[in-house]
Amino acid sequence: MELNITLRVARHPAPQGQAFSEFRVTLEDRMTVLDALFQAHRKRDGSLGFRCSCRVGMCGTCAVYVNRIPRLACSTLVKNLKSEIVTVEPLPHYPIIKDVAVSLAPFFDQWRRVRPAFRPKKGDMPGLALIRKDSKFRQLAPTKRDCITCGACYAACSFTGMNAQYLGPAAINKAFLRVLDPRDGDGEERTKILDDSLNGVWRCHTQFNCTAVCPRGIDLTDSIVRIKRALLRPGRLFKA
Amino acid sequence: MVAWTLQRVTGLLLLFYLFLHIHTISKLSQGPAAFNEAMATFHSPLFKLLEIALLGTVVLHALNGIRITLVDLGVGVQKQRQLFWIVTVGVGVLVFLAGAIPMFIFAVLKV
Repeated sequence: MELNITLRVARHPAPQGQAFSEFRVTLEDRMTVLDALFQAHRKRDGSLGFRCSCRVGMCGTCAVYVNRIPRLACSTLVKNLKSEIVTVEPLPHYPIIKDVAVSLAPFFDQWRRVRPAFRPKKGDMPGLALIRKDSKFRQLAPTKRDCITCGACYAACSFTGMNAQYLGPAAINKAFLRVLDPRDGDGEERTKILDDSLNGVWRCHTQFNCTAVCPRGIDLTDSIVRIKRALLRPGRLFKA
Repeated sequence: MVAWTLQRVTGLLLLFYLFLHIHTISKLSQGPAAFNEAMATFHSPLFKLLEIALLGTVVLHALNGIRITLVDLGVGVQKQRQLFWIVTVGVGVLVFLAGAIPMFIFAVLKV
């Protein structure tokens, strides 16, 4: 017996004024939302616009709004949604290019603002930098550096939606990695950006939406909370 | 999302209650008769039900506020979801019932 689901895909621009296109998709074994999109694209409507690349949850390209939650299409099993109707929309808080493909420009604008590149304190060092096993950097960095810049957290956060100048969870988490790094030399500049009362870490209201949707399981709110506490106690987490 | 929305909704409700409370208490400045008249409106069963609702609002907002404060201090960040459902909602419901049931029996049903 063939099982079907209804795939609703947001269209932009809307063909014939229809904001959504609907497709009956035959459920295949271990079908992901990306598989469903491809089935609709191949068999019904070749003009469907969506993004993908690696198909294995590594690159972050296929992040979309699935039943109103930001997810990676390639990593979301249709049967796990437990819904007859699967609605795919573009990630919120981003300008739409076509259908469910968005521009990640707002995300990367904020990303760049925190000075994400590593700049060493001292120039060329003759030896290796020593990172102690019991240091915060060694303990925390592995849990924070898996970010694939998919943009799901920025889409999930209510505050990036209300304030386009807010840094957002991913940028702050990236900044946290640099803040933790004892070798980094950009602490002073970065602190000013993070500490900004209008658009810095203080715009986070611990909603935890970012942490809930991160496909890499990074505790983003934890990074933001740690920076907030470090900002209140200067010199505690890093030395300028 | 649920916790965040709940905090804002209860916060707005409590703000409204605060104004009502200050307005009523300010009647004291107009003498005992005015104050007693203002307080008399709150003796009806409807207002007693609203007081029970107020108890629920305060309990939810307070316990969730404690959870948020703990998170801001860096305590229990990884367990914040459990903190919400077990402490804010679970304990909150218990505290609410401990107050709401006697209030309902004695003030609303007037047993």
